[in-house]
Amino acid sequence: MAALAKLRARLRQRAAQWARRRQGPDELPLTLARRRLYILPTRAGMAFGALVLTMLVAGFNYGNSLTLLLAFLLAGFALVAMHECHRNLLGLSLLEAAAPPLFAGSCGTLRLTLGNAGSRLSRYRVETAVAEEAAVAHDLPAGGRGQIELPLRAGRRGLQRIERLRVSSAHPFGLFRVWTWIHAPLTVIVYPRPAGSLPLPADSGTRAGSWPRGTGGADEWFGLRPFRDGDSPRQVAWKAYAREAPLLVKEYSSAGSPLRLLSLQAAGQPDLESRLAQLARWIVDAEAAGELYGLELPEERIPAHRGPDHRHRCLSALALHGSAR
Amino acid sequence: MRAARTIQQTPRRPLLWVCAAITAALLLHAVEVPAWVTIAALALVGWRVAGLFDAAPLPGGIVRIALGLALVAAVLVRFQTLNGLVPGTAMLMLMAAVKLLETRSRRDQYVVIGGALFLLMAACLYGQELPWVPLYGAEALLCCSALAVVAYTPEANMGASPAPAGLRTREAVALAGRTLLYAIPLAILLFLFFPRLPGHFWALTGADDAVTGLGDTLTPGGITHLTTSYAVAFRARFDGGRLPPPAQRYWRGPVLHDFDGATWTAGGYARGTAELECLSTPYHYRIFLQPSFRRWWLALDTVTSSPGAGVLYTSDEQLIASQPVTQSVSYGAISCADARSPAPLTLAARREDTRLPTGSNPRTRAFAVQLRRLAGSDAAFVQAALAFLRTGGFTYSLTPPPLGPDPIDDFLFHTRSGFCGHYASAFVDIMRAGGVPARVVTGYLGGERNPYDGTLTVRQSDAHAWAEVWLGGRGWTRVDPTAAVAPERLYRGILDLLPGAVSVPERLVHAWPWLAAALARWEVLDGWWNERVVGFDHGSQLRLLRDLGFHSPELRDAGWAFAFALLAWLTWISWQLGKTAEGARSADRLARAYTRLCRKIARAGLPRAAHQGPLAYAQAVARHRPELTASVRPLLEQYADLRFGPTAGSANDGQLRTFERAVSRLSLRRPR
Repeated sequence: MAALAKLRARLRQRAAQWARRRQGPDELPLTLARRRLYILPTRAGMAFGALVLTMLVAGFNYGNSLTLLLAFLLAGFALVAMHECHRNLLGLSLLEAAAPPLFAGSCGTLRLTLGNAGSRLSRYRVETAVAEEAAVAHDLPAGGRGQIELPLRAGRRGLQRIERLRVSSAHPFGLFRVWTWIHAPLTVIVYPRPAGSLPLPADSGTRAGSWPRGTGGADEWFGLRPFRDGDSPRQVAWKAYAREAPLLVKEYSSAGSPLRLLSLQAAGQPDLESRLAQLARWIVDAEAAGELYGLELPEERIPAHRGPDHRHRCLSALALHGSAR
Repeated sequence: MRAARTIQQTPRRPLLWVCAAITAALLLHAVEVPAWVTIAALALVGWRVAGLFDAAPLPGGIVRIALGLALVAAVLVRFQTLNGLVPGTAMLMLMAAVKLLETRSRRDQYVVIGGALFLLMAACLYGQELPWVPLYGAEALLCCSALAVVAYTPEANMGASPAPAGLRTREAVALAGRTLLYAIPLAILLFLFFPRLPGHFWALTGADDAVTGLGDTLTPGGITHLTTSYAVAFRARFDGGRLPPPAQRYWRGPVLHDFDGATWTAGGYARGTAELECLSTPYHYRIFLQPSFRRWWLALDTVTSSPGAGVLYTSDEQLIASQPVTQSVSYGAISCADARSPAPLTLAARREDTRLPTGSNPRTRAFAVQLRRLAGSDAAFVQAALAFLRTGGFTYSLTPPPLGPDPIDDFLFHTRSGFCGHYASAFVDIMRAGGVPARVVTGYLGGERNPYDGTLTVRQSDAHAWAEVWLGGRGWTRVDPTAAVAPERLYRGILDLLPGAVSVPERLVHAWPWLAAALARWEVLDGWWNERVVGFDHGSQLRLLRDLGFHSPELRDAGWAFAFALLAWLTWISWQLGKTAEGARSADRLARAYTRLCRKIARAGLPRAAHQGPLAYAQAVARHRPELTASVRPLLEQYADLRFGPTAGSANDGQLRTFERAVSRLSLRRPR
């Protein structure tokens, strides 16, 4: 049984590779055309075929017209079901696919947007999956679009490529399964997993390369960040909003927050990965505490700052450290 | 605990659909299998439903296995075999119901639906009568809808996805119904053109011994049950609409030679050596015989030859098939109403047809001998016997009093009340006692012309028995003693003669003409069904191919027609279903033309990006494919003008058509 499952997995792998060579790379948005949809009977479909065949033999043997008619009707039913299954994906489009960065070893989501615009057909039970992982099923109304969140498991730190997406459906009767592989250039940044217990390095004061401290106690304009629930309307950058920018919030740095400069040397761990993990821990903690922090890596210096964008920049630098850019 | 949770997780809706499908399949068989099988299977289904609603605990594995074995044993005890349609069906019904008890996963549900479809097939094998067909269709629809619901509902363990609401009942039935509707044309094409082979693949087990129609024995009084049935025995269509007159509508069935004093039996028959000399224009006609589970093929008296291979034409002009008639069958035949046998009767035949059991019916024998002596000739003897029946105070009755140990004596000299069977056997007994060869012929007398298609419908209630006597110089001559007693029997059915003897529904049919008319229409439909659908076989297929223009068609031609039909249907279905999926046809003509234009440009290597409007698209074309600009730009500008310009929305038909035509004419070279 296990050997059979293994064989199936290998066959599937081979088929996927063949499809990759045949289809070439894809670009989003993408509409599923006939030449990239594959369809095969499911196990239930094969059993149904055997049933129809039995009926056919019985009908011929007994010279029974009604049995033959039933067998032919069910054969036609299966063939129509095949076409209905095929068209359940035909013309469907994958508009976007994006995955927010995630920490190594954690679980995140891959967000897909499926579009069914320009079709009078509702799509049922469209199953999407990352490669051969478990699928998530979704219904799409005619002319609508749907957001799908696929579970994504992060591997090691770095740039994780999503080789292929699998979109499939066995919709009307489960007798056939139509599927396609999508090889879009999808990558997810996997941050190092935050670990280590060293305390944050001390406030580095006005060391060179750091953010110039504001003079005096007055808060200083610091930057813009996206609006979050709970932000005061007085902080919203209404002028920018009037220029059709998204809703942004003005941030001011409080003069009293400490400034930390983080580096590989400061994270005194025996090996590189542990040091990166320690750095990630510091960045997460500093950001959570609302402190200013900068990062120094052999290939990159990131001046001290704060906010989600800065955090992402720093963690990405850690994620990609040592890999050829 | 664990089991309880699993049950909880089993989605109810699909399983209820599965239960409905299997219940309907079980009910289709309620008539032919023993009642306990149906009841047991339905009880198991009920148990499963109760379990689904936590009203009853479901049995564990050991109980299920024990239950299954017990039911197999019960079927074996009842039928002594599992081979054959009814035992097999009973087995399948019970096993499907037991399987239902352990059904939780989607796979199990598929298995049970498969069982229901298999039971539907068994029902088709059992009876192909038209009234059942709508029920079969409904069951097919039910099974397919159940399939849709089961396939749609996610497995219980696919907990990761938010479970979508199940397929609604209307949606499921609509989906299955539409799919089946699309399949019907293919089913018809395949039915007509799928190459048929004559004969069976392997020998069939003996037909079930259900008895309807004529028996092959005649015991005076034993034919009563037949005459009350209004069911159609067969229908006959005469070439050129030339029908025999009512008094000649004798349909010949089993001929009975042997008499043991109480019961007539067939005796031996020999392969046809009878030579008939036709004295009138023969009738050419076609018979559509309903299943009788007997081997006789009915034909108008007197048929002149065998209608087909495998059907014996005997020396006493019966048609006997090698297999009982279990399916309705149709055949062409030729008959002479007035025929003569030129050859003399052989000694053996004479001995057989004058033989009477010694000592039986002594009074009749003495009477016959005296009558023969007085008559002088065989023909006069026949007339004298008929006169005796006519004037002897005999009455026609379907409910005659029971007869004693010498039934003929009792009938002729005591009760004097009976029907065709009594008169025919008494008459033949008299003839034989008087030394004249005679035999009893059973069959049907009558036939009602259906006003809608001109065929004659002969019913079971037209069953009849008459006599044949051998007269020198003429050969076998039909004599109907019943006609001497009740001459109107020749022209009217038993129903008219004895309205009290028949059941209520048949009396209603006769009382209300509109009901009779509706019945006549129904019988036309039923006849068409039996002739064209049930009776469609190798020969019919070859005839159809010949009508379609194949000269001397054979199996290979059917194969070609089959392949062509399949291809045509596949093309149609693929177009029919595909057109709604890819870029639906917009109701807006302008939008359609624009879509066409963009598609042409895209094919030339420059697809329109989603964010580009017509003018931006024109600029993109100018930038990347300057050689196309000259032909493409004016069209894109024209579209922008029609869509967004000052006259947008009020563009007249002429402008629109000019644009459409220009788009159609546009032809762009593909990039190299």
